[in-house]
Order: sequence, then structure tokens, then C-alpha cells
Amino acid sequence: MDVAEIISHHILDHDWGVTLAGFRLPITTHTVTLFAVSVVLFLGLYWISLRRQSRRGRLLTTLMEEYVVFIRDGLVLPNMGQEGKRFLPYFCTLFLFVLFCALAGLVPNMKTATSNISVTAALALCSGGLILYCGLKFHGFVGFLKGFIPSGTPGWLVPLIFPLEVVSLIIKVCVLAIRLFANMLSGHMVLICLLLIVFVVGQMHIAAGAGALLPAMGLELFMTCLEILVAFLQAYVFTLLTTIFAGSVIHTH
Amino acid sequence: MEDLLKPDYGVLVLTICNFLLLVYLLKKFAWNRIIGGLEQREQQIADDKKQAQQARAQAEEIKQELDAKLAQISEEASKKIQQAVSMGETQKNQLLEEAKAQAENLIAQAKVQIQAEKDKALADVKNQIVSTAMLAAAQVVQQQINQDSAQKVVEKVLADVQGK
Repeated sequence: MDVAEIISHHILDHDWGVTLAGFRLPITTHTVTLFAVSVVLFLGLYWISLRRQSRRGRLLTTLMEEYVVFIRDGLVLPNMGQEGKRFLPYFCTLFLFVLFCALAGLVPNMKTATSNISVTAALALCSGGLILYCGLKFHGFVGFLKGFIPSGTPGWLVPLIFPLEVVSLIIKVCVLAIRLFANMLSGHMVLICLLLIVFVVGQMHIAAGAGALLPAMGLELFMTCLEILVAFLQAYVFTLLTTIFAGSVIHTH
Repeated sequence: MEDLLKPDYGVLVLTICNFLLLVYLLKKFAWNRIIGGLEQREQQIADDKKQAQQARAQAEEIKQELDAKLAQISEEASKKIQQAVSMGETQKNQLLEEAKAQAENLIAQAKVQIQAEKDKALADVKNQIVSTAMLAAAQVVQQQINQDSAQKVVEKVLADVQGK
């Protein structure tokens, strides 16, 4: 097994090949991770919401309330205004989902689901759907389309500007998916490459491999800490950009 | 490695379903409670704050009223003290004048009384001198004595008068 294969094995999704009545079920390492993260999030938050009266529960509830305040006052209200309050559960879930998917990759035997382009594309499509819903809900179909044309645009420029703005919105959604995917993938590639240093150097000479062990472990630890930071950062960026795009559709030019 | 960018539509659809279901379930069973509790607490804090502000405004108002009353009372007290001082001053002057007048009156009465006593004493002295003179004259006439003896008699009478 060469280095490229090892890296591919570590990063790529593995289909478990489950079929039901000839129909392939997408049971893969990433979807299992997604499901596990969803179950943990649901049970954890449900438990916290139920334990509001007990002392320990109050502490956790206060923590979650602070988290909601952070999402609401830090992301939703500044970018979407009061209209965005009704979507608060969506953004609260989105942030935690992206965060936990990224952190899951740091747990042994689990995968970073967000290093899969299909998963990030799905999340971006959900955000795109939300943006569309906001535009149609607050401005109607015609108003939403009018929102693509900046005020004061000369009539002869409209045929040029309109497709550009539509493409711009599509690109924004695509960028959401690619940014998250690329960041998560690159982090994990770096992690596995650092580990492979030991084996690559060890193949040259066993003593050199042993000597490379400590520096490689140090770098691995540093990168893992960086990955934790990146996990929070990417969850924040993904949620922030979604609120900004949705806000720009609600409050047009 | 080229599989990295190849989308798996099954995973995509499953992820969308998984995520939207999670959003729905969390909204129904967790976020509504947590956000509801948060908004309730924020509302309570806002109400408490509003009440505290109202109470503070009322306290300020009462303080201003009390300050105004205190100033008014202080002014009235000052006026009353001033009035009392001026009244006391007037009464003092009045009493002094009355006392002075009374004293002058008493002095005048005393003077009159002294003058009367003096006049009376003088009259008594005169009367005594006259009666003594009359007595001396009578004795002189009775004894028909000479000039020397008459002189002696007069001197004796005078000595008697002085002795009295």
C-alpha cells in the first residue's frame, strides 16, 4: 500500500454496500457518522431541555441559552434582522451540526463527514433552500426576482446584471459547500501526512523513523489542536455566511 | 483520489433528509423549550428592569418633592425666626422704654417726695426755731435779766436746740 492509497483510505468515504430490493442504500462511514452526530445532538439537547429544573440541568440550560444568545445576537439579528428570529432553531442546529461533524473526525474510528463534498453540498443546498424561502416569503416571486437587480440600474443593463446576480447567488451557495469541504479535507490530509512522516522515514532507516517519531507526534498534536480551532471556525463561518446571504435576500438593495 | 470530488447523490439526499429531520426534531423537542425559557427569562429581566426604573423614577420624584418641602419648611422657619427676633427686639425696646419711663417716673416721684420731706423738715425747723425763739423771748421777758444774762440765755437756748 503506497502513501497515496493510505491517504485515500483515510479520507475517502467507504460504502458498506447495503442494498435493499436492488436499491443501493447510501450507508457509508460518513452517513453513519452523520447519523451518530444527529443522535448525540438530539438526545443531548433533548435531555438538557428536560432537565431545566434540576441544579445540573439549570447549569447546562444556562450554557445552551448563552449559546442561543450568541447565535441570535451575534449572527442572526445583525444580518437578518427581526425577520431572522423565526429561523433561529435552524441556525442553532446548523452550527452544532457542522461543529460536531468536524469534531467527530478527531475521535478514533470516526470520520469527518464534512470532508465529503456530498455532505457539504447537502448542507449548502439546505442553506440555499432557506435563502430561496426567505426571498419568496418576504418579497413574493416577482419581488424576489426584482431583488436581483440593484436599484438605479439602467434598463439596458438589466439583461446583463440579472443573470450575473442569479449566478452570483448560486456561486455563493456552491462556495459554502466548497469552503467547508476544502478546509476539513486539508486538515485531515495534513494530519495523516504528518503521521506518515514516521513510516516514510522509517522505511529509509529504522533509527531515523524512531527519531522522527517525537517531532511528528508534536506536530500531530499541534495540528489536532488547530483542527479543533478550525472546527469551531468553520462552523461559525458556515452559519455566518448563511445568515448574511439570507439577510441580503430579505433586505434587498 | 479523483473520487474526492465525485458527488454521491445517495449520501447527498440522505444528508439533506438527516439534517432537516434533525432541525425539525430539535426545534420540536429542544430549541422551542430552550428558546422559550430564554425569552421568558429575558422578558422577566426586562420587566424587572422596567419596574426598577419606574421605582427609581418614583423615588426621584418623591425625593424632589421632599426636597422642595424641606426647602419650603426651611424658608418658613427662617422667616419665623426672623419674625420672632424682630418681635423680641421690639418687645425689648418697648420694655426698656417702659422701664426707663417708670424709672424716670419713680425718680420724679422720689424727688417730689424728697422735696416735700425737705420742705416739711424745713418748716419743722422753722417752727421749732420760732417756738424756741418765742420760748427764749418769753424767758427773757420773764426773768428781766441783763444783757449778759440774756445773751447767756439765748446761747443756752441755741445750745439746747443744737443738742436736740
